[in-house]
Amino acid sequence: MTAHDEKARRAFDLGVRRPDLARAEADAELAAVLDEQIHHLIAQGLSPNAARAEALRRLGISLPAASAQVHRSAEHRERRMKLHEWLEDLAADLRYAFRTLARSPALTGAAVLTLALAIGANTAIFSAVSAVMLRPLPFADPGRLVMLWEENPDFKWYQQDAAPANMFDWREQVSGFADVAGYPSFMSSTTLTGYGEPRMLASLPVTGNFFTVLGVTPELGRVFREEETWDTSPRTMVLSHRTWRTVFGADRGLIGRTVELGGRPVEVVGVLSPRFAYPGVDADVWLPMRWPPTSRAQVFFRRAHWIKPVARLKPGITLEAANAELQTVVARLQQEYPATNTRMGAGLTPLHEFLVGKTRLPLLVMLGGVAVLLLIACANVANLLLVRAAGRERESAVRLALGAGRGRLFRQALAESAVFAGLGGAAGVALGWWGTRVLTALQPAGMLPVSNIAMSWSVVGYAFAATLLAAVIFGIAPTVWTVRRVPADVLRDEGRSASGTVRARRWGEALLVSQVALALALTLGAGLLVRSYLQLQRVDPGFDSRNVLAVSLSLPGIRYDSTPKVLAFYRELERETRALPGVVAAAVVSGVPLGPPTWSSQFAVQGREPLPAGSEVLHREITGDYQKVMGVKLLRGRPLSEADREDAPPVVLINETLARMYFADQDPVGQRISFDRLPDSTSTWRTIVGVVGDERQRGLSEPARPEFLAPYPQEPRSGMTLVARTAGDPAALAPAVRGSIARLDPKLAITSIRTMDQVRAAALGRDKFLAVLMVSFAGVGLVLGIVGIYGVVAQLARRRTREMGIRLALGARTGQLQWLVVRKGLGLTLVGIGFGVAMALGATKVIRTLLYQVRPADPVTFVLVPVLVLLTAGLASWIPAARASRADPAAVLRAD
Amino acid sequence: MALLKGTLDVLVLKALSFGPLHGFEIIRWIESGSGGEFAIEAAALLQALHRLEERRLVTAAWAITENNRKARYYSLTPAGRAHLRAESAALRSSVAALRAILDTR
Repeated sequence: MTAHDEKARRAFDLGVRRPDLARAEADAELAAVLDEQIHHLIAQGLSPNAARAEALRRLGISLPAASAQVHRSAEHRERRMKLHEWLEDLAADLRYAFRTLARSPALTGAAVLTLALAIGANTAIFSAVSAVMLRPLPFADPGRLVMLWEENPDFKWYQQDAAPANMFDWREQVSGFADVAGYPSFMSSTTLTGYGEPRMLASLPVTGNFFTVLGVTPELGRVFREEETWDTSPRTMVLSHRTWRTVFGADRGLIGRTVELGGRPVEVVGVLSPRFAYPGVDADVWLPMRWPPTSRAQVFFRRAHWIKPVARLKPGITLEAANAELQTVVARLQQEYPATNTRMGAGLTPLHEFLVGKTRLPLLVMLGGVAVLLLIACANVANLLLVRAAGRERESAVRLALGAGRGRLFRQALAESAVFAGLGGAAGVALGWWGTRVLTALQPAGMLPVSNIAMSWSVVGYAFAATLLAAVIFGIAPTVWTVRRVPADVLRDEGRSASGTVRARRWGEALLVSQVALALALTLGAGLLVRSYLQLQRVDPGFDSRNVLAVSLSLPGIRYDSTPKVLAFYRELERETRALPGVVAAAVVSGVPLGPPTWSSQFAVQGREPLPAGSEVLHREITGDYQKVMGVKLLRGRPLSEADREDAPPVVLINETLARMYFADQDPVGQRISFDRLPDSTSTWRTIVGVVGDERQRGLSEPARPEFLAPYPQEPRSGMTLVARTAGDPAALAPAVRGSIARLDPKLAITSIRTMDQVRAAALGRDKFLAVLMVSFAGVGLVLGIVGIYGVVAQLARRRTREMGIRLALGARTGQLQWLVVRKGLGLTLVGIGFGVAMALGATKVIRTLLYQVRPADPVTFVLVPVLVLLTAGLASWIPAARASRADPAAVLRAD
Repeated sequence: MALLKGTLDVLVLKALSFGPLHGFEIIRWIESGSGGEFAIEAAALLQALHRLEERRLVTAAWAITENNRKARYYSLTPAGRAHLRAESAALRSSVAALRAILDTR
């Protein structure tokens, strides 16, 4: 070996020698030293033989022993240096990768951003999904908790609330249940006074054993006791951790103290742990039921269905066994209580499934959307790396010819991929962290049954691994093709039509087609959701939501303990509001449409056979100007007025749907109805005085239900909503209304102030959220696809510039030349569109139930989206084509 | 006379501080520098050189000697030069301490 070899080896990073080479070198070196010594001794006058003997003597040990020693040290050196050089090479590779990536900042930035978006979006959505669907409920042994429900095919009731008396019977008679607790299906609100401004707290009454059944231990104090189900025990409450912190300043001395709640003294007995969360129930304060013990025997306790019972199964009891036993008890109750239970069935569902089941589909749709986005991003980055690596084919061949290790070439390609994935991954994790918070904050109320979503690290890892894999596979693929070939061939090709490049191009086109297909499928899905949202927005809710302010109030029973007091307050409030400047009309209503559900009952028409069971109609109570405020038309008869007082003859308005369903061939005005299906001597008969237009009560996608609108003074209640139509911006009226309320009752807390436009928008919250999210995913996917098309066509145009120059010189028209290139872009897009449409036709069936008056194969969407994509792709292809065809033929021909 | 333990590496680095040398030249430099007191065995020297090379204190390259024979030439790296400075200072102070102890009467 020569010094030149050694230097070349290091300079070209050709790797460290093999152990056998190292040993041979060490022997040569030892021999060289001895040789020098012998020559030195000869120069001093010794004979060659004597000199050799003297040199060996000075070695101190035998030659083989000395040789063995230097072998060991040389081998050790090579081993250690190999590791060292490997690390140094890695650092160099990473530096090199960073430098090459920095040389094309736009391209790198775009790719890293793509990865970051995909990883971030996946992280956020997957985190939400795992929080809702995968994480167990924060209760003790949550797998043994089940939700019990009742059903009645006559009423078309399935999985409905249970009657309290039935719940108690199940609790006592089903031996497979360790215990059964219950809570109502609706939240209440109650006023807290004495801690700053009067404050409305969301409250939920539960049976005394509720927290014990869930297996929840409090942060402070105690949870309720079983006997607190009944009103024989003193008034107590348990605070949510949040309320304890925000309202009571995390005062540890609060336990055992009495505060004024709903106008009554109530003792704070406990504070829940911050980890406690019950899906779909966000109560500030928990109260015990405090039913009168006598109610168990009364018929209303078995007739009204309003309790959600939660049972804990005994250990070793299966769902099936518990259900079988429940059915036996249900059959017995049907016999025992024919008046209420004849057709009343019951069943059970695992609690987790029952509570989060409804959010499953929208979440799965979002999940599908981001997963597709991740695939698109992977394809995009893979394509980018493919192009880069293919461009380096010649460089690789040169280094291979100079003796570079193949491993070294692979590592360099790998380093570049790793830098990409690393940058994208880091940005993605940051974005995901942020996205998780944004998702939690922006989700429409009630979409996710959990309030805290933690970022899931397993998801981060998964998304990161997916992109890394894609980057690695496609980053090193061209290197594989290169090293398999004889370097001389590659070099001879002059990089013009190297087969690796051709293969990379073909792979790139395949990637691009799949990218376009995926993006198109995603856009079609998003398009359907957008169409559905637009349809819903166009739905006429039956009222004019513009310029209406709605203020909800609840009068505490302790101070408003008689009907005259309640009526007087609302009458005064209505009058005050009407007098405010800018108010066109004002009324009071028991519930605005699209707001919280109101009560319902069956009814009877005087002089007719009883209506079939299950003829449920909604009820609301209004004052005279309600229809005027809401812009609802009076179709027949007269509106209600101030004359319909509590002491006037009972009257009622019906909506158009009720008139059509039950008075199809008669004039309803003047007929008399009762709110009981089987009226008796105690029933009140009301005269229908008018028919009003339909309002959609329960949701924009649901048609109006039959409804009674009774005069409020004849059906008074303490919780009402003031509605006011204004001449200008309704929100501007809010301070004045607040002022009026404070003047009338300074201790009264307002439940909510909203404009009807807000109420209407909130009703579409989920649809809008889903549509916006999917459109953003689809938008990113589409942009990536179009940029990809542009890239491929631009490359093609560059390759064919010379050919175009020749053709132009020979008299071809510019249009023809452009078509040569545009054709390619359009062709790839068309193939992508074909696959995408096929995919979407299969996939959009899944979201059928999320669509309103839009078919999963909606022709408008399925024509419009592909056409738009094709046009955009055409434009993206035309730009580089036009540039290439405008080149001066003379200049192009001279260039080579 | 045998060399004090651990001093061979420093002596080798010192020898190389004047320029690249091959193995036998290093032996000669140390032997003559010590007035023939220190006898260096070839195997020990080569092991020391391999050790120093492994630690990147010296680099090596084959070249042709003045007498037209092949030899592996070693030269000091910047890291080797720094190491020599630090180690010789440490050695000097420990020799001074040794002397102080031994000179005590």
